Amino acid sequence: MRNTDELPDDALEALFAVARTEVPLPSGALMDRLRDTALAEQPRPVVRRARRGPVSALIEAIGGWPALAGLATAGVMGLWIGANPPQALTGLLVASDLTALAPYDLSLLDEEG
Amino acid sequence: MMAFDAENAETDEALLAAYATGDARAARMLTLRLGPRVFGHALRLTGNRTDAEDITQEALLRLWRAAPDWRTGEAKVSTWLYRVTGNLCIDRARARRPNVALDAIAEPEDGAPGADDRMQEATRMAALQVALTSLPDRQRQAVVLRHIEGLSNPEIAGIMDMSVEAVESLTARGKRALALALAGRREELGYAEH
Repeated sequence: MRNTDELPDDALEALFAVARTEVPLPSGALMDRLRDTALAEQPRPVVRRARRGPVSALIEAIGGWPALAGLATAGVMGLWIGANPPQALTGLLVASDLTALAPYDLSLLDEEG
Repeated sequence: MMAFDAENAETDEALLAAYATGDARAARMLTLRLGPRVFGHALRLTGNRTDAEDITQEALLRLWRAAPDWRTGEAKVSTWLYRVTGNLCIDRARARRPNVALDAIAEPEDGAPGADDRMQEATRMAALQVALTSLPDRQRQAVVLRHIEGLSNPEIAGIMDMSVEAVESLTARGKRALALALAGRREELGYAEH
């Protein structure tokens, strides 16, 4: 049996509604302590150290990646010049140079010429 | 503001995983997000600011230490914290019965705009807190979780390790006990019949 003096449901619900909005706040000092503890207890960040193999050791020995890039450019240029010699260079091949090739079969050159 | 909103969109669980990898930003964000939540809940359960502060520190310390072994998807951070906070409050209440709790509510400043309204709200909150403190520990915990934290009965059942039916019964009895504890105070609380 309900006590007629007890706080009715609607008033109690209204009280709960106020409690949901009137949230008690912690002090700034507590928040500072909580943050300090969180940081103090935090695991250290994992730093991944690159493993050095023989290839990376060799690259470092010749001066690192910039030196390797220069070496690669020079190699590509050499191949290019070998495959497509510039016109200015072909004129330098004179007859005297051909005598140096005497031990070899020069008829091949004649056939091609 | 976008960055702020994006950070707020991260779940507690995602931030805790980041915390465990040493992300200091996650540590700060979780503290800002969870500190007030745990403190508010502890204060409702204990009715005492000093106890609530101690319990908040202990509950969050346990969370930081659990972070490296936290398995995402198994438990919600909020559920875990409600359980730990509730247990710490009950342990403390068993060790020392709380004083009548009027310090749970900040005193309103006289003369400030809307001071009368704030005085009324403070009176209501103080009365509710005293009535809550008069309830048995488990009843108080169930009523606070249901009617102030706004959790569902199945969520409360998980937090309090009991069946949904037991939660329903506990909250019903707790609510009735509150109504009795506040008997005769309807007009004083500003809820007079019109």
